[in-house]
Amino acid sequence: MEHIKTIKTANLCESAKNGGCGECQTSCQSACKTSCGIANQQCENNNK
Amino acid sequence: MVHQYKLNGYNIVLDTCSGGVHVVDDVTYDIISEFEKQSEDQLLSQISQKYPEVGEQEIKECYDQVSALKESGELFTPDTFEGMADKLKQKTAGVIKALCLHVAHTCNLNCSYCFASQGKYHGERAIMSLEVGKRALDFLVENSGTRHNLEVDFFGGEPLMNFGMIKDLVAYARELEKKHNKNFRFTLTTNGVLIDDDVIDFANREMSNVVLSLDGRKEIHDKYRVDYAGKGSWERIVPKFQELVDKRGGKNYYMRGTFTHSNPDFLEDIKVMLDLGFNELSMEPVVCAKGDAEELTEEDFPIVCKQYEDLAALMIEKHKENKDFTFYHYMIDLKSGPCIYKRISGCGSGTEYMAVTPWGDLYPCHQFVGEDKYKLGDIYNGVTNKGAQEEFASCNVYARPDCKDCWAKLYCSGGCAANAYHATGSVRGVYEYGCRLFRKRMECAIMVAVAKALEE
Repeated sequence: MEHIKTIKTANLCESAKNGGCGECQTSCQSACKTSCGIANQQCENNNK
Repeated sequence: MVHQYKLNGYNIVLDTCSGGVHVVDDVTYDIISEFEKQSEDQLLSQISQKYPEVGEQEIKECYDQVSALKESGELFTPDTFEGMADKLKQKTAGVIKALCLHVAHTCNLNCSYCFASQGKYHGERAIMSLEVGKRALDFLVENSGTRHNLEVDFFGGEPLMNFGMIKDLVAYARELEKKHNKNFRFTLTTNGVLIDDDVIDFANREMSNVVLSLDGRKEIHDKYRVDYAGKGSWERIVPKFQELVDKRGGKNYYMRGTFTHSNPDFLEDIKVMLDLGFNELSMEPVVCAKGDAEELTEEDFPIVCKQYEDLAALMIEKHKENKDFTFYHYMIDLKSGPCIYKRISGCGSGTEYMAVTPWGDLYPCHQFVGEDKYKLGDIYNGVTNKGAQEEFASCNVYARPDCKDCWAKLYCSGGCAANAYHATGSVRGVYEYGCRLFRKRMECAIMVAVAKALEE
């Protein structure tokens, strides 16, 4: 019986391999300007 | 690090370091919470006593599935990222990719809760000249290295009080793009008072995003967002916002509100925005000085949390009706969000992101403008206050002691330096109230993502 449903997510440890291109948006730009969050940002790495 | 919570009927388990998200049954939920603390025999016996109706074999099955997830690196993943915390900043040292241009340190509204003190940032009223604006863009291009996408936000005060300059500056930027192979993404943040056909046409053509300030209910909005005669602005701006959004052709915008001690029940304001036809929404807790009448209190906290939960439930309900709307803090892409480098590097203020005053001074971000000790330099001579810049450059998830054991640190990247500074006097502190709200928002955001994923 299945007791655990794993939601499909990006693996953060794996993202270390090709990450860090720096093309993504700055964290505070555009929407909120008064708090910081990065979970809602898009990855813009074209060489993944 | 594992974080577990129950919300909206889901038992959710986050493996924060791998980014794993699991939905589990009650028995497994309890096993996970004790898995690292007890031996297998002890734990199985404890769970059997708690769930006498569940057979031993089934409990063992749950235990084995948890063990398997740990084996495969999807649960109890250790935090091994600390050594990488400054890698991205080292790699991109000196590269600036975004500027917040304070094109008008003045405003046609007189909102009492304004963190920028009616756009003046505790200084004199001022307007940015085209010459300063051009030099700011040149400065950005000169310091952008190989980065292609450059972000520029027209901010204030009220930027449309300098609309002619904005138009000329965007034309100049389009020339720079061709010359240097760059792509400018512009954003305009406006209170809406000066929106007319010309603004709508320009903003919808040239701005990648527009941020429109509306607090929701008329009585809430008009309590704070008043002109200098004390008259509320709701009736003047709502039809203009509707026309702008209607003609935007699907390009991004945010209807952005602020909630305060006056409206901790801000879901009512979000519902008003939805009723007005807006569906890309953001509602932010007020940023103000300690003791201000607008400040959110401890009594407000549970009310605010309830709004976040009910908002999440509303999003799921609307999703089922194919009437989706977005909420800035609930936009989370579990499959392809930011990489680990981005998540641990901090917000980028003072290094890759800076604010420019009307006369060309540089500050770490718009919220530091007017704080003399954090003036970094200017657009003519670059960053000269290296000590202040270093303070921001070294600000990452692992630099803040309070973040060490926080499960949400890879979702917030260490939080807002300005909020931390205003709350504790140090950019390496944390604004605890804001952190508690952030954690609540993330729990809700992930729950919505889980509900949608399980439906697929």
